Amino acid sequence: MAFRQDATELGDARRRVESLVGPGEQRAFNEPWEVRAFAMAVAAYHNGQYEWSEFQLSLIDSIKKWEDGDGAEPWSYYEHWLEALETVLAGNGALSDAALDEKTKAVLATPKNANHHEAHREPVAVDPAR
Amino acid sequence: MSSSIVRTPEEIAARVKALEAIMIEKGIMTTTAIDRLVEIYENEVGPQLGASVVAKAWADPEFKARLVANATDACAELGIGGLQGEDMVVVENTDTVHNVITCTLCSCYPWPVLGLPPNWYKGPEFRSRIVREPRKVLREDFGFDVPDSVEVRVWDSSSEMRYWVLPQRPAGTEGLDEKALAALVTRDSMIGVGPVKAA
Repeated sequence: MAFRQDATELGDARRRVESLVGPGEQRAFNEPWEVRAFAMAVAAYHNGQYEWSEFQLSLIDSIKKWEDGDGAEPWSYYEHWLEALETVLAGNGALSDAALDEKTKAVLATPKNANHHEAHREPVAVDPAR
Repeated sequence: MSSSIVRTPEEIAARVKALEAIMIEKGIMTTTAIDRLVEIYENEVGPQLGASVVAKAWADPEFKARLVANATDACAELGIGGLQGEDMVVVENTDTVHNVITCTLCSCYPWPVLGLPPNWYKGPEFRSRIVREPRKVLREDFGFDVPDSVEVRVWDSSSEMRYWVLPQRPAGTEGLDEKALAALVTRDSMIGVGPVKAA
């Protein structure tokens, strides 16, 4: 039952945090993609792709461009975060804009339920009686 | 890159998914590693860690002296540290000085003790206004009145140095142990935009 215990500990940790932090504007993330983008930046840093300060300068730069703009684009912190991540990864050759655009199109073209769009009426696996 | 393009939520989510797929194909990261980081920063690292440090400082004057002298080293004694916590500075509230933290350029914040910053901390409005009219922002946006007799100092965190606030120990807490003290410490009190809880 180790899994159940972990889940409970995690649940407790979350409740402790929420009791301190609260909901809404008090949250760190609004959308699931934001936390993925956040974690990817940390993971790429741990992998040695860039210095953290390089990433931060890129983030500052992206935010500054927004602040200097005409205010037509709505504020989204994690879009700046994503742009900063793309910029530093492109800067060291780990990512090309074209490859990312192409992959994004492929993701968008894949239906969310690509593998689950019809009923599976048979067992997905059977371990026969012996 | 193409920042001027306004993307739909679906497009952004797809772009992040595509980026993750490319990074995994290139061996730069694994899904397991990303999942683990998500779990750590969503559930494990948070202001409860900073609260425990504050409580220890309230209970142990020698630890408090070490914390004020070098916050990063003092937190390391408690096993607390990591990314965005390399050069932390604790600013101590007193009867005559109240401290507030911000990051005027982006969102620098001491992750290991406070977790990830809330949305308002990262937003352009707080970042610009707290510098121009801190007392007013504290009163109007946070409902937190700092008496006129108390000086308000606003500290600008950067990637080189990240500040956080050591609030004052509330009155009437003489008999409390560290665990009970930690329960009084709010995240906002360590940012400097709110009080600690009353005992």
